Amino acid sequence: MHSALARINNVSSLFSTCLMVLLAAVALSSLFVTADPKGRIDVVSLKVYNAKAKRYPFKEQEFGFVKFDVDADLTPLFNWNTKQLFVYLEAEYANSQGVNNTIVLWDRIVSRKEDAHVVVSSGRNKYKLKELYESFKNTSPATFSLKYNVMPYVGLLTYGEAARTDGQEIPEARDAIA
Amino acid sequence: MAPLQDIFEGKIDFIGQRRVDSIARVALAACTIASFVVGYALQSLRVTMGTFALSTLLVVVMVVPPWPMYNRHPVRWRKD
Repeated sequence: MHSALARINNVSSLFSTCLMVLLAAVALSSLFVTADPKGRIDVVSLKVYNAKAKRYPFKEQEFGFVKFDVDADLTPLFNWNTKQLFVYLEAEYANSQGVNNTIVLWDRIVSRKEDAHVVVSSGRNKYKLKELYESFKNTSPATFSLKYNVMPYVGLLTYGEAARTDGQEIPEARDAIA
Repeated sequence: MAPLQDIFEGKIDFIGQRRVDSIARVALAACTIASFVVGYALQSLRVTMGTFALSTLLVVVMVVPPWPMYNRHPVRWRKD
């Protein structure tokens, strides 16, 4: 502390320690929040069509098309340490080989508390619903679930599930109307 | 040249150094707690970080420059 430089050194190291303690306190304060919001998903329609895979022009592939309604009030998840919510709709089924598959069909980033009441009517899947073995024959019924990921400003990522449907049989593939 | 070096050195006496040390430590610890409490009460992370930054700036201004109050007890060298 004998010179200005020594004082700057001292204060800056003290400042960084205090800053880390402050950030740890902020992270801990939002880790044990017990909000568990629930919502509702309705799968309006699920259709499967035969088509050609985009990448390999001669490869046949079955694509699924989902229309759904979602209504979930996720406002309890917004606290002072919430930066944004990542909300996504997943389809889960076991394929003909018995392997469990989970596919993200639709997602949305919610950055403000005002937008946190997620209401989607007649939403369509953003991402392709296709099976690795090119066909949905002999797969188990698919359940659709609405999950969320809370992204804090400081701290650990936390996950949760807001809604889940019963198993729905994936229908037979049909040819697209030309 | 020498006055410029003195300005940049910013020497303070020993009593001043002890005072500066305790001021810095107490002020930073108190401001950490205060900014967390205020921000949590107002549910705004911006308030927390803002008050913490401002208070650190205040501490730096109070502690780093060689204010005359830190030079009130200069070292008395022996005359012989």
